[in-house]
Amino acid sequence: MGALIKDFLNGIWNDNPTFRLQIGLCPVLAVTSTALNGVGMGLATTFVLMCSSILISILRNVIPEKVRIPCYIIVIATFSTVVDLVMHAMLPDLHRVLGIFIPLIVVNCILMGRAEAYASKKPVIYAAFDGLGMGIGFTWALTLIGAVREMLGAGSLFGVQLVSDTAATFGVFSLPPGAFITVGLLIAGMNMISTRLRKAS
Amino acid sequence: MNESVRMIVVLAVIAMVSGGVLSFVYDWTGAIIAENQLRQMESSVFEVLPGAVRVEPLGTAPSTLVQDDPETSREVEQTTTQIFVGFDAQDKALGYAFVGEGPGYGGAVRILVGVDGESGEILNLAVLNHAETPGLGSKIEEASFRNQFKGKTLDDPIAIGRDIDGISGATVSSRAVAEAVRRGFADAAAAYERSR
Repeated sequence: MGALIKDFLNGIWNDNPTFRLQIGLCPVLAVTSTALNGVGMGLATTFVLMCSSILISILRNVIPEKVRIPCYIIVIATFSTVVDLVMHAMLPDLHRVLGIFIPLIVVNCILMGRAEAYASKKPVIYAAFDGLGMGIGFTWALTLIGAVREMLGAGSLFGVQLVSDTAATFGVFSLPPGAFITVGLLIAGMNMISTRLRKAS
Repeated sequence: MNESVRMIVVLAVIAMVSGGVLSFVYDWTGAIIAENQLRQMESSVFEVLPGAVRVEPLGTAPSTLVQDDPETSREVEQTTTQIFVGFDAQDKALGYAFVGEGPGYGGAVRILVGVDGESGEILNLAVLNHAETPGLGSKIEEASFRNQFKGKTLDDPIAIGRDIDGISGATVSSRAVAEAVRRGFADAAAAYERSR
């Protein structure tokens, strides 16, 4: 049980995919112009990551070593397409914003990375917790980046206007350069907290 | 089992299962997606034709392109204009709404324009979808920009810098909207007249 919780927490802080492993940055930079986009992309990725981790873990003794990569890609692509279609049908508003990024989950290296490094070697329950932890780590990272960018770039948070409509905002934070600046500063901040914690303990 | 046979069998089975799952999900969601899109279009028509309670598609008409001036004009393929007729509670035709498309900064900008059937004036304009820069080009959705088109008729130039003020920092996006209006207007008006 302890190992499960450790695996779960690993993705949230110590091995956070965005801030620590720094993988899968393409969707991070592209979709985080608002906090809500961050939540949506994070949850979609979490779902695909957890499902594919579980399935790949179940099939880990069946899949021959030499064709493992195409097998992983088929599994991940299937779940991504299912998420795409279901989101289009059930949450059309969110789909309008995230639509073009959902198919990109297929090539998000977090998924291949976890499938290759973890799910293909561990029992199902561990793979599930690893996928869930990584997904939640990805989601909070995207939400935080989105929140910072939305507040600075548009003066709102989760679509709620915080300052008056006419107030000047830092438009650059809504644009791609703002994503790089925000991610850089947040990584620096997270490193600072980690160093402090290590010194304290 | 021979190793290479095993490889082929495993990969084939995985591919077949995902194919099956995908076709099932596609079938299941396809109808809902089409329904959603229809609903969305209908509610947009209600938005641009105040007072309408029922919408009927009028089919499509080929649109002709009216260009600003040779400097800014670009080659654009002919687009098809979707036209809808709005009816009020007494089932009297109020006017029509047409879909226009113009080339924006991040791809096509699609708009829906509502026109009064009697006076031929634009009643309202809604942006259906666009991929313009957030914070700059996305301002084409704001009422202060869209309201400038209200009251325009076929006789007006409907061009940025002439009778419509563009959004600063978003010239291409502003032009895309004006062009989208111009492109479908004449055809839609003619098609509506014919249907009366």
